[in-house]
Amino acid sequence: MSLTREDIEILDRSLKGELTSEEVERLNDRMKTDENFRNEAERHFILVKELKRHDNRRHLRSIFNEAHAEVSLPAKTISSRNTWAFAAIAASIAIVSVVTTFFVTRSWNSEQTSMYLDLSRKVDRINKSQNIILKDIQQEKNKKAPGTFAGTGFLISPGYISTSYHVVKVADSIYIENEKFGSIKTSIVYTDVTNDVAILKIENENDLIITPPYTISSKEGSLAEEVFTLGYPREDVVFGAGNISAVTGYKGNPNAYQVSVPVNPGNSGGPLFNNKGDLIGIISGKQTETSGVAFATKSTILLGLLSEQSPDSIRQSITKFRMTTQSTSSRVQQVKQWHDYVFMVKVFKN
Amino acid sequence: MYYFDELIVTEIRNKNEVALKELYKTHFPMAAHLICSNSGTEQEARDIYQEAMIAFYENVQRPGFVLTCKIKTYLYAVCWRLWLKRLSEKKRHHYGIDNMETFPGIEEEMQDIQEKENNYTAMTRAMEGLGEPCLGLIKDYYMADMSMEMISQKYNYTNADNAKNQKYKCLQRLKKLFFKEHNES
Repeated sequence: MSLTREDIEILDRSLKGELTSEEVERLNDRMKTDENFRNEAERHFILVKELKRHDNRRHLRSIFNEAHAEVSLPAKTISSRNTWAFAAIAASIAIVSVVTTFFVTRSWNSEQTSMYLDLSRKVDRINKSQNIILKDIQQEKNKKAPGTFAGTGFLISPGYISTSYHVVKVADSIYIENEKFGSIKTSIVYTDVTNDVAILKIENENDLIITPPYTISSKEGSLAEEVFTLGYPREDVVFGAGNISAVTGYKGNPNAYQVSVPVNPGNSGGPLFNNKGDLIGIISGKQTETSGVAFATKSTILLGLLSEQSPDSIRQSITKFRMTTQSTSSRVQQVKQWHDYVFMVKVFKN
Repeated sequence: MYYFDELIVTEIRNKNEVALKELYKTHFPMAAHLICSNSGTEQEARDIYQEAMIAFYENVQRPGFVLTCKIKTYLYAVCWRLWLKRLSEKKRHHYGIDNMETFPGIEEEMQDIQEKENNYTAMTRAMEGLGEPCLGLIKDYYMADMSMEMISQKYNYTNADNAKNQKYKCLQRLKKLFFKEHNES
C-alpha cells in the first residue's frame, strides 16, 4: 500500500512543523498502530531528507569551489633561464585549452538539442527551393522579406491565435498566413514558457472576427485515442494522423501527451484534434533519437491559461462559443473545414 | 583541548560560510600534497578533499557532535581512505588498508560516508530521470520551501489543489525512481 495524497500532506506539514498538537497526536497514534503506514512514512522521510541533503551538498560544493579559487599552492620554482620557455609553453597550453573548451561546449550543446528538437523550421534551409518559385511570388503585391522561423498556429477565439512559445520567442514581428485569409499581422499577448504556449492577438481589430468550429476539450485524451494535426512544415498545409501513445510527455511531463503523429520542423504550435474534431493539444516537439515520437501540450493547460491569465475579452469569447461539433461529418469534410482556421506563423527577426 | 578547532566548529554550526571557506583553504595544501605525491592530480585532490569536507560538515551539523581529534587529522585520514578506494577502483594499484596513524572510529565513519555517497548518487539519478516540470515543482516545495499557493501561481495551475495533485504525482514518481536506484547500488 502506498500513501494517499492526504497522508503525504500530513507528513510534509509535520516536517515543516505546521501540524496542530491534535494532528501530531493522531499521527503518532497511527505510527504506533499501523506498521505498514509507519514503514511508508519512514520511506517518505528518507526521500525528503535525501532531497534536502542533495540541495545542501550542491550548495557546499559551490562554496568550496569559491574557496578553491582563492587557494594559492606553493608554485614550483622555475630557474630564471627557463622562464621564457615556460611562459611560451604556458601560453600554448592556454590557447589549446581555450580552443578545446570551445569545441567541447559546442558539441555538448548540440548533444543537448538533439535530445529534444523544437520543431520551428529554419526557413534559411529551404531558401533554395523558395528561390525557384521566387519569380512568381515577386509578381504578387505587398511582398515581405522571408521570415526567419516558421511554425503553425490556430484560431482559439475571434481575433486570437495560439501557437508554441518556442516558435515566437525571438520574434520582432509575427505574421500569420493561410490560403483563405492571406497574411495578417499579430502580436504576442501572453506566453507560458514552462508549458511552451503562446497566445497571439490580431493587431487589426476588424480582422478575423470569426469563431472556430472546434471546441477546446476540457477533458484529457485517453491512451490510443485517434488524433490528427494540421500544420505547415512546408508552404502548404499538411495533414498528419496517429494516436495518443502516452498520456505524459517528454521525461514524463504530465502536462503533455506523446503522440505517434508524423511531425516535422514547422509543425510546432499546430493543433491536435481528436476523432470528434475537438482540440485536445498543441504540437510542441519531438524526440530525435526515436522516430515517430512527438509531443503535444494538453488542451487543459491552454484552457487553464485562458481562464486564469488572459484578458477578459478572450475569456468571454471562449465561454461564448460552444458550437456543437459535427461528429457525424467525415474526416475529409472536417479537415476541409478546419484547415481555414490553421495558420502558418511567420516570425521575423531583424 | 583543540581551542582553535572548537572555535571553527562553533562557527560552522552557525552556518558561517566565511569560516567554512577559511577552513577549506587552510587544509587544502595538505590534501593536495597527500594525493599528488601518491600518483594523483590536483583535480583529483580537489574532488577527494571536497568530499572529505562535505563529510566533515555533515558531521558537525549532527546534534550530538563532539570533536574527538583535530580537524586536520580527520580530514587527512578521510582523504587518505577515499583516495585508496579511488585508486583500487582504477585497478591500477592494490593498496591494502595499512595501519597508519588515524583517529578512533574511522571504519564506521568510512562506511557512513560511503552510504551517504550512494544515496546522493541515487538521488542525482532519480532527479535526472524525473524531468520538468516535475523536478522544478519538487525542488520549489522541498528545497526552496515555497508554499503550494506560490507554486500554483508559478506553474500556472488553476488552483492550489491542482498543484497539490501534481506534486503528489511527481513525488510518487521520484520515490519510485529513488528507491529503485537505491536498491540497485
